[in-house]
Amino acid sequence: MLLSAILSILIFIISLVLIFSEKMNRSIAGIAGAVFMVGVGKILGFYSEEAALEAIDFNTLGLLLGMMILVAMLEPTGFFQYIAVWAARASGGKPVLLFVLLGSITTVLSMFLDNVTTVVLIAPVTILICEILGISPLPYLMAEALLSDTGGVATLVGDPPNVLIGSAAGFSFNDFLIYALPIVAVAWVATLVLLRFLFRDELSKRPHNAEAVMSLNPAESLDDPKTARRVLIILGAAILLFFVHHILHISPSFIASSAAAVALLWVQPDIQETFKKVEWSVLIFFSALFVMVGGLEAAGVLEAIVGLLEGLSRIPPIWFGVSLIWIVAGLSAVVDNVPITIALIPVIQGLGEAGMDITPLWWALAFGAGFGGNGTIIGSTANIIVATLSEKTRTPITSSLWNRRGLPVMLATCAIASVLYIVLYKTY
Amino acid sequence: MKIGDCMKRNVVSITETASVREAAAIFVKEHIGLLPIVDQNNKLVGVVGLRDLLSLELPDFVNFVADVDFVHDFGAVETTRPSADVLDKSIKTLMKPAITVHEDSGLLRAYALMLQHNLHDMPVVSEDGKLVGVASRVDIGTTILSAWSEVE
Repeated sequence: MLLSAILSILIFIISLVLIFSEKMNRSIAGIAGAVFMVGVGKILGFYSEEAALEAIDFNTLGLLLGMMILVAMLEPTGFFQYIAVWAARASGGKPVLLFVLLGSITTVLSMFLDNVTTVVLIAPVTILICEILGISPLPYLMAEALLSDTGGVATLVGDPPNVLIGSAAGFSFNDFLIYALPIVAVAWVATLVLLRFLFRDELSKRPHNAEAVMSLNPAESLDDPKTARRVLIILGAAILLFFVHHILHISPSFIASSAAAVALLWVQPDIQETFKKVEWSVLIFFSALFVMVGGLEAAGVLEAIVGLLEGLSRIPPIWFGVSLIWIVAGLSAVVDNVPITIALIPVIQGLGEAGMDITPLWWALAFGAGFGGNGTIIGSTANIIVATLSEKTRTPITSSLWNRRGLPVMLATCAIASVLYIVLYKTY
Repeated sequence: MKIGDCMKRNVVSITETASVREAAAIFVKEHIGLLPIVDQNNKLVGVVGLRDLLSLELPDFVNFVADVDFVHDFGAVETTRPSADVLDKSIKTLMKPAITVHEDSGLLRAYALMLQHNLHDMPVVSEDGKLVGVASRVDIGTTILSAWSEVE
């Protein structure tokens, strides 16, 4: 038993080091680790192919895949470009107004769509708009990354950690609206105000060419209005169904898969092109992590960790939750929050089986994993994407700039989440 | 026909030590699209194209969006000039490795390389890598077409 535990921990840690060091693609490291785990598990008799398949949370994968297919169909229509162009015109070239509009759009989009997709599609148009205005795109790009991470925390489908937590804890879409959205709303206002202050110099400069943004034609930026309308109708219907999924007794993953199926039937896109845009590597990475963590569980490792943590039950549960927010946030700032979430889920479930009230802990995990990613330039994929794009502009986002402008946002949002967590603790 | 028969032989080139500003002045004066960069022995070390210089004024962001036809006024981009720092940098910062052909290369081979690499001008080098000429798409294309008059 001890040998199984040691070997499974070793496989998991080596895989994590390879994933986090970014020396190797994370999906490759994940597949290798998962296969090793099953192989060693079979030899030592603690794990099997059947158990590995059971460890994969197909509810999470189905929800992610369904949403990815919808976005893959929406992306080529130019819809995201259209919204950004609309924002530019509505702002009339006033930097602060443009900042608030683009920030709000990113937040709302990333509440329902993948953060990375939102940023990948909004950031390039943002750079274009800023170049036309002759202003630095820095504040806008950083706000988009920070607010997409923040907005994603608000809903069940906004962020992969939320999908994982919702699936494991059995939270409904509305649970997130009741318990996460209010905290995100406060954090969102704080982020905007804080960034407005941190970028006060950049945002106070009035562009000379403000009228140039009025030459942007939103109608021309929407390449395929027919498909955009169809996908948006289906996306809207899916979101409405999310609100009542627990009453209808259907899973969010079934709603997302159905929405994808209906959209594919209605639009009938070039399926090869659509599937090229689906991030299969993400789905494979998730599956691999599930299999590895399943191996840890089967080897009794997670049980031992739960046993160790039980000693901490003398700590008042409210502070246990607050510590969890900060520990997870600290980890998420430097490494990917998905492996952290997938590894912590069975630990929290174990604590629940041991008699602890774990509902508040799920929320602590969601806040820490969601807000923590804002801390560093590599904290979330959205951050890495805006930083990479900004290298092609005259004002690249550097790591030290992020520490001065992004880290304060992470600290402020985590502090807000902690305070509200304490205030709202009794309602969980 | 070989490429050596249709290329321009009096080629303008620049040495590695030149600045971006000096290179730009030659483009303006000679009205050319490609400037070969050579070392002190006239050996070709790379090329810089008009497009590489223009990228300083129209940065990569244009490539990020699928099309720019909805932008009717480029606003500040139209009047942005590269800073003096950028202009005083060595031309090596913009230099690209050259796709070259030898003097004795056939015309269609040279044309195929141009199509493949999306080039409009191509430096021609001697056996020992020295720059001997530049052939343009027009030079090569019209020479190929000129042979059609012999078709009965």
